[in-house]
Amino acid sequence: MKKHFCFVTLLLVLFSNAQTKNIDSTAIYIIDKMADILGSLESVEFNINTATDKLDDQGNLSTFYAKSSIAMTGPNKFTSTTKGDGGNFGYWYDGDYVSYYSLDENNYVTLEAPETILTMIDSMHMAFDFKFPAADFFYPSFTDDLIESFDTISYKGQRDVNDDKCFYITASNTEKHVQLWITANAVMLPKRIVIVYKNENNLQFETTFSNWVLNPIIPDAIYDFTPPPHASLISILSKS
Amino acid sequence: MNLIFSNIKYISVTVLLLIFSLGVTENLEAQRLKHPVSRGGNSSMAHKPINRPTSRPASRPGNNTINRGGSINGGHKKVISRNNLPNNKATVNRNRPNINNNNKQVINRNKPTINNNKGKQVINRSKNTSNVKTINRRPGNTGGGHNTININNSHNNININVNNRNHNHRHTYVRHSHRHYVRPPYIFGGFRFYCHRPYYYHPYRPYYWGPYWHPWGYFVRTLATTAIIVAIVDDSNNKEEYHYDNGTYYLKTEDGFEAVQAPIGAQVPSIPSEAEKVTVNETNNYYYGGAFYEQNADGYIVVPATAGTIVPNLPEGGEEVKIGDQTFVQFGETYYQPIQVDGKDMYEIVDVLEDE
Repeated sequence: MKKHFCFVTLLLVLFSNAQTKNIDSTAIYIIDKMADILGSLESVEFNINTATDKLDDQGNLSTFYAKSSIAMTGPNKFTSTTKGDGGNFGYWYDGDYVSYYSLDENNYVTLEAPETILTMIDSMHMAFDFKFPAADFFYPSFTDDLIESFDTISYKGQRDVNDDKCFYITASNTEKHVQLWITANAVMLPKRIVIVYKNENNLQFETTFSNWVLNPIIPDAIYDFTPPPHASLISILSKS
Repeated sequence: MNLIFSNIKYISVTVLLLIFSLGVTENLEAQRLKHPVSRGGNSSMAHKPINRPTSRPASRPGNNTINRGGSINGGHKKVISRNNLPNNKATVNRNRPNINNNNKQVINRNKPTINNNKGKQVINRSKNTSNVKTINRRPGNTGGGHNTININNSHNNININVNNRNHNHRHTYVRHSHRHYVRPPYIFGGFRFYCHRPYYYHPYRPYYWGPYWHPWGYFVRTLATTAIIVAIVDDSNNKEEYHYDNGTYYLKTEDGFEAVQAPIGAQVPSIPSEAEKVTVNETNNYYYGGAFYEQNADGYIVVPATAGTIVPNLPEGGEEVKIGDQTFVQFGETYYQPIQVDGKDMYEIVDVLEDE
């Protein structure tokens, strides 16, 4: 009887996790190609423009725009500077330490950090809610994560973004609808992503990429953070 | 006995299966597309298909040391088989198959590797790092009780004697406000930070209440003859003796007296004339040197800070703490949000509530 109960539980586990999905192999091919190219880079520079929807105190929609410049050198150098409606700030990661500096408040946080860009991004996001611009695309399992997280992934043909021909791909699940534009040329790079949060008043997040420089030579000094004059080192509260 | 053991075994297996089916890693997600943690990054680079040089020739122009020793993300990883995606439709088993555990770098998301000794050969590269703080979560603790704040003391720049830190924290808890908050709370790490006024950052500059007032940690060998003794009975029925002089409280030490946070419950006959009236829940309190007083028949009694109270200045002894996107000033268990009232920089005491 007990063995039967265990067996039934096992079957329930297996069947509950195996669901039919609508995954377009063409879309996966394109996303894979883009992820292959990003994964083969030893260094990269690019800019992004973001638009983030939030609800204000009265529950009205308020869109925050920002521009960020990002540079990274594998496996353990990252920097980004952001200027926008949500504040002006930057991150510097030199392989040993990660620093966050607020230009508006002239204060900064410096923490010892894990040894690779992705582990640093992951752990800092989880512990302190640091939000690194465009970090999603640099997860090495980007395509697998999409396949796993979304019920439908479709290739919808080509569309233009700022006069660039792009592959247009959509992905949906119960929580999100994602639109992804990937440049349709030899170097298939992300051009734009739009995420709609279905369960959160359809709030939208949009990022447009520009000025990609692949494998540039970036001096290490770019990743070192030197506190500006009179900047204050402050404490930080962990989420856990 | 065997029957009991057998039952435990089956129950354990069943529970484990159920936990697995619920997806214990669902919460371990990062960024906007919520990537599972176990896939984030790979320091070994062992899976890289391309044999890249580990360093560039030394003839590179300039003196910059270019670290080009690896891919920015360790290379694209494909674990889910693409062969199961013929044409346009496929059945994908959501169980993650065949994850190469050798390549995984598991991140402890609860405790990131902070202040760890990596054993790297770094010459004079140590930097001053920030204190990492947490708020203890206790059953029934919703911010109104005697919260304990953990402080990483490894890089402590606060001017507080360690022996008296517990004292200072114990007397900085916050009373809830009964006033309804119209503004939605600021949410971070499972806590809601309520304020009546919007966040408006201004740098924390300690205020000095004149020549007689002394901040926490200030040490004197002797006290003026005007000092009086104030006795307090603490939560454990222990009697504590303080020395009070012109708005400053001292604890006796071996060599003299050290200024500490005003002890809650201390009854004093008078407070300095520089004390300011502050409105707390439609009644008036007096504020001096970071302490709140209520007037009574015997003079003034030290009371806990009340959430929602607005104060014009803060004494020395606090520290700025980044909480998500905002920076608060923390005194023990009291968080002050920087605000602006009629163009003047002020602080509002935050009501910190733990999510249910």
